[in-house]
Amino acid sequence: MKKLFNNIYLWVDERVQISDLVKFMSKKYVPIHSRSIWYYFGGVSLFLFIIQVVTGILLTFYYKGSSEQAYESIKFIMSKVEFGWLIRSIHAWSANLFILAVFIHMFSVYFERTYRKPRELTWVTGVLLFFLSLGFGFSGYLLPWNELAFFATKVGTDIVGVLPVIGEPIKLLLRGSEDVTGATLSRFYAFHVMLLPLLFTLLLSVHLLLVQRQGMSEPVEVKVKGSMPFFPNFFLRDLILWLLVLNILAVLAVFFPAELGLKANPLASAPVGIKPEWYFMFMFQSLKFIPAKVLFVDGELLGILLFGIAGLLWLLVPFWDRKTAAGQKNRMINYIGVFSIIFILVMTILGWVL
Amino acid sequence: MKLLIPIIILIVNSFLLSQVKKVDQCFQCHIDIGSAQAELFVNDVHKRIGLSCSSCHGGDNTTDNDEIAMNPKNGFVGKPKPSKISEICANCHSNPETMKKYGSNIKTGQFEELRKSVHGKASTDANTTIAQCTTCHNAHGIAKVNNPASPVFPTNIPETCGKCHSSVVYMQKYNPSLPVDQIEKYRTSKHGMLNKVGNKKVAACADCHGAHSIFSAKDVRSSVYPTNIPATCSKCHSDKEYMKEFKIATDQFEKYKRSVHGVALLEKNDISAPACNSCHGNHAATPPGISSISKVCGTCHALNAELFANSPHKEAFDKKNYPECETCHNSHDIAVTRDELLGINKSSVCSKCHSEKENSKGYFAAKEMRQMIDELTNKQKTASSKIFEAEQKGMEVEEIKFRVRDINSSILEARTVIHSFDISKFKEVIKKGNVASQEVISDATSKIDEYFFRRYGLMAAVLVSTILMILIYLHLKRIEKKNN
Repeated sequence: MKKLFNNIYLWVDERVQISDLVKFMSKKYVPIHSRSIWYYFGGVSLFLFIIQVVTGILLTFYYKGSSEQAYESIKFIMSKVEFGWLIRSIHAWSANLFILAVFIHMFSVYFERTYRKPRELTWVTGVLLFFLSLGFGFSGYLLPWNELAFFATKVGTDIVGVLPVIGEPIKLLLRGSEDVTGATLSRFYAFHVMLLPLLFTLLLSVHLLLVQRQGMSEPVEVKVKGSMPFFPNFFLRDLILWLLVLNILAVLAVFFPAELGLKANPLASAPVGIKPEWYFMFMFQSLKFIPAKVLFVDGELLGILLFGIAGLLWLLVPFWDRKTAAGQKNRMINYIGVFSIIFILVMTILGWVL
Repeated sequence: MKLLIPIIILIVNSFLLSQVKKVDQCFQCHIDIGSAQAELFVNDVHKRIGLSCSSCHGGDNTTDNDEIAMNPKNGFVGKPKPSKISEICANCHSNPETMKKYGSNIKTGQFEELRKSVHGKASTDANTTIAQCTTCHNAHGIAKVNNPASPVFPTNIPETCGKCHSSVVYMQKYNPSLPVDQIEKYRTSKHGMLNKVGNKKVAACADCHGAHSIFSAKDVRSSVYPTNIPATCSKCHSDKEYMKEFKIATDQFEKYKRSVHGVALLEKNDISAPACNSCHGNHAATPPGISSISKVCGTCHALNAELFANSPHKEAFDKKNYPECETCHNSHDIAVTRDELLGINKSSVCSKCHSEKENSKGYFAAKEMRQMIDELTNKQKTASSKIFEAEQKGMEVEEIKFRVRDINSSILEARTVIHSFDISKFKEVIKKGNVASQEVISDATSKIDEYFFRRYGLMAAVLVSTILMILIYLHLKRIEKKNN
């Protein structure tokens, strides 16, 4: 058997020089230090993304992206398709864990200042991937065409419409009609399975290429004890963690299967307590706290603009954090990071409690 | 002598006063010229209490000079405009003070009631309302309601209402779909027949529909709106004292209130449930005869009635003069039908006539049918509890739940087919229910099994993946040890 594999390997290697890639990977080393654990969250995010792709493709075999059939097709997947309930539940849970892993990965990179030269572009592509992940979450949430998703999308797209000049056109572009209708569902489906995956894959390729090219960043403030080969040592550790995540996913999917709720009825009034997905909660709750008018400026508009500016500043951290770039300590980065985490946590909790 | 003086004084006084006593000149002149209205006014209740023509028509009734008496400057209106007639009546009849002055104790809200009623709506020419006071009470020669000369005296009411309501041409203008045979039907009813021979106590039109505040029977304010009918009928029919001379029971309303029909109509406001008139008729109200009971019940329970009519019980009941549906289900106090009515127990109605020794074929059939329906209802309960269990475990059971309807409809059908008293037909229906319940129980059970399969599957998957994790870890340690 070993001989057979060896022969196949040699046959492929002779034609595409696969041994070069193995040599390249085995030469890659991962630094060992007290904060090495944060390296793994990039891999976990990647693993969850792969699960999303695989389960997503399986779901498209049965899902029907029209307002008349979407809800029924999900019902069919949940009740009739063999292991359909498992695939959908894993897709739903994996989406949540993916965004959580991306959050952790992004903040760990931020606090470690890994974005500093020469990894500015890795940070920028990473943040853009984070924004796309949120886009995945927002577009996928509507697809079951249930009551909660319908009204959450209505509220979400209404918020975009507040923006001056470009708000209405963007809202129309997202909805495909004046209101949230079957046209919106078709669009969101197209975003979710075509446009976003395309952009995501392109950006992810660049992101991974940069990581591979530049290797793992060593932290500034911590002493590096040594290093381990990326392959097989780090890769096998990654694999153990991925299996652990898979176990968690399976337990969540079996014990807390994804719910479907009631079918969306555009003529019905919005049910009480409509809430967005947890990763949008902090923004939703903040907008609710801002008064209707702040010095002649519409409160909601002000909130969106502030979040827009914050997002832009976040994207451009490597370019305005000149102290770190110059090799100096920048405590402001820690303060901003801690403030952001506390803000997100408090607003999210308030969103659920209030 | 002592007596003579006062008598003389009285005679002189009467003589002198008679010279100055007011004469109603309007009436005087109009009666002299042979006016029909004036002749009718002679016996008018209003004339008797001293009212004059001018009380309604205006003008000066103290002079025989036409120019002055019928001068608009003196308030003369002549023949009132149709739209003003009821208002003129209301000037006194809506004023408690005025009515009190004339010693009357009749109510004063009639005009307001009439205005809101169906008759108070605008007529086709839009100048007046459909009915004014004079439409029913006459204009001249108005008599008290308790005077047999009054058109609204109880025995005259049907004809008074019938003036319009029995006229096809007239009713076409306002409500073409409303029948015009009410009076004809009424005369065939107990009420109508007794009314015809002068009985004032029996119900006439106004007793059920109201006198002034009459609404369409479709209007919830109407005393004959379905949910109000039982109370309207019971005003008389539950009054023991009032009904004494008619020698009929007075507990119908009490029984009806507790019956399945009464609860549906009065508590659940289900207006498709029968009220008194649904079985007894409304205008032709009469108790249904023994032989027609199944026909009356059959107007709603059509299938049951048809099955019964073709069953062997029909002939048996007819021979013994048993009222059809009523023998098993009672009349006013019809309870919710329970399976306990069927069978051979004390509570079953079958055992009234059937026993092991007497009419034994029916006895054994009843016993078997009861067993079958009990088994089916038990299966239905098992199916429901299995579905509940699966649902509690978070399994998708919508479709199975939907199929429980098949079991329920079989039970319902069986309860209907029972009226054919044909055991083979009954078995056929029960079989359908049994097949449906077996499928539902089996599907619900497999959902419960799937729940456990998921849990065990999860355990297996977690175990495999954990073993894999341990193996990878051991392999990793071996590599690291080798490298070191």
